[in-house]
Amino acid sequence: MTTLDPAPAPGSPAPGPPLTSSLVPTLSGRWYTDPEIFAAEQDRILERSWTCVAHSGDLAAPGAYRTVTVGRESIVLVRGRDQAVRAFYNVCRHRGARLCAEPEGQVRRSLQCPYHAWTYDLSGKLVAAPNLTSMPDVDRVANGLAPVAVREWIGYAWVCLAPEPPSFEMDVIGSVVSRLGDVESIEHYGIEDLALGRRISYDVAANWKLIVENFMECYHCATIHPELTEVLPEFADGYAAQYYVGHGAEFGEDVAGFTVDGSAGHPRIPGVEAGQDRRYYAITIRPQVFVNLVPDHVIVHRMTPLATDLTRVEVDWLFLPEVIASGADIDRSVELFHRVNVQDFDACERTQPGMSSRVYAAGGSLVPSEHHIAEFHRWVQDRLA
Amino acid sequence: MIYACQLADLPRGGSLRLTDVPGSPPVALFHTEDGELYAVDDTCTHQDASLADGFVEDCAVECPLHAAIFDLRTGEADGMLARFPIRTHRVMIEDGAVHVQVSEAVPYLPPGARRTVAS
Repeated sequence: MTTLDPAPAPGSPAPGPPLTSSLVPTLSGRWYTDPEIFAAEQDRILERSWTCVAHSGDLAAPGAYRTVTVGRESIVLVRGRDQAVRAFYNVCRHRGARLCAEPEGQVRRSLQCPYHAWTYDLSGKLVAAPNLTSMPDVDRVANGLAPVAVREWIGYAWVCLAPEPPSFEMDVIGSVVSRLGDVESIEHYGIEDLALGRRISYDVAANWKLIVENFMECYHCATIHPELTEVLPEFADGYAAQYYVGHGAEFGEDVAGFTVDGSAGHPRIPGVEAGQDRRYYAITIRPQVFVNLVPDHVIVHRMTPLATDLTRVEVDWLFLPEVIASGADIDRSVELFHRVNVQDFDACERTQPGMSSRVYAAGGSLVPSEHHIAEFHRWVQDRLA
Repeated sequence: MIYACQLADLPRGGSLRLTDVPGSPPVALFHTEDGELYAVDDTCTHQDASLADGFVEDCAVECPLHAAIFDLRTGEADGMLARFPIRTHRVMIEDGAVHVQVSEAVPYLPPGARRTVAS
């Protein structure tokens, strides 16, 4: 008899919610609050996975550089005179000074440490330093900048800090294939040829996993996303685009475009196939990228986890270059997902404090339309095991 | 006159640092993209750095350390960081071999390099 069950002692963690076949458990609260777990995630997930860090247009010309945070490291990306993008630890090999202090900039031929003027060419080789000519035993490659693996794909630079990076094809392109069914489905959007129309950076006071989980489910859509649900009526059912392989949510019958008021957007990207027209696709590329595909634009979200309870999300809205060049009004297109982001991030920030409540010590529950999130939890746990 | 290298071993855009020059600090030999050959003092007059590691554009070399610029034809400094010129040396090619006739003028050297030569 339940009335005879002993009440939990004051101060002891609450038991988890009663689980049934409908409800499966989440991670426990400390996965979202514990600095040790966060450090382990930085070590074993963020510093070992392929991470999307910059739009190729941010590194347009030789000598253009950008500094980014990956895990606990600062990384500098720079386009070489041979047009290749390279990535290095942003640390002078001499005495360890931060090489590039600015978030972005343009150099002519070299990166120079502002401390003792150790000077590296754009391939990372040490090319000059005061009195270096008197030190002929200094190996200029071995004392060059420490390189990081880098790939350019869909118009973005991706880096991996692992000495032996995992397969980009398996981890990154494989994520797209398992979501869309094949790689051609994303290639139709020609993302590498699109132009940056708008970029918004959000600092979200929530653990990065809450943001991933939020993006993976649509159980919340009808409650917090009135505009999105208006454009994609099936979202009211709570089954997200992430639930079925190859499925894209269809625009409502009276919806002309993926805009905040359902009015017409912009010309369809030429490669988008008839079966992809008037549909919305969403892809999660673990650990930190979300991509939304709609017929006339693409939205790329890049997350940077900064603390247990702080995550920066940079979001790019990409359109056909001629749309941007013509000065066309993209506000109504951008406003739709900007609102969705604000609504989502508010929800994540509302959730974060609950993670340290004793009531959530054993976690919460996932309803059937969220059960696939448990697979993300297993993935995180496997990485840390 | 000293032997530098075979012309075939110094492609256009290449440079060579000659350290074993009797009575002289190192000499830099440049083969420009335009096919010209220039020999100048290798040491930047601003601070000890090798101009052979620098960047050549047209008839000028830019020091890799602080971007001081010297005219390869005259040795003139840009006057911004480097105030003193580098010496220029005659280049001769004989049967595909590059030789340099080092100037007898007194070189300008930055403080660090002066010590190096003295020792």
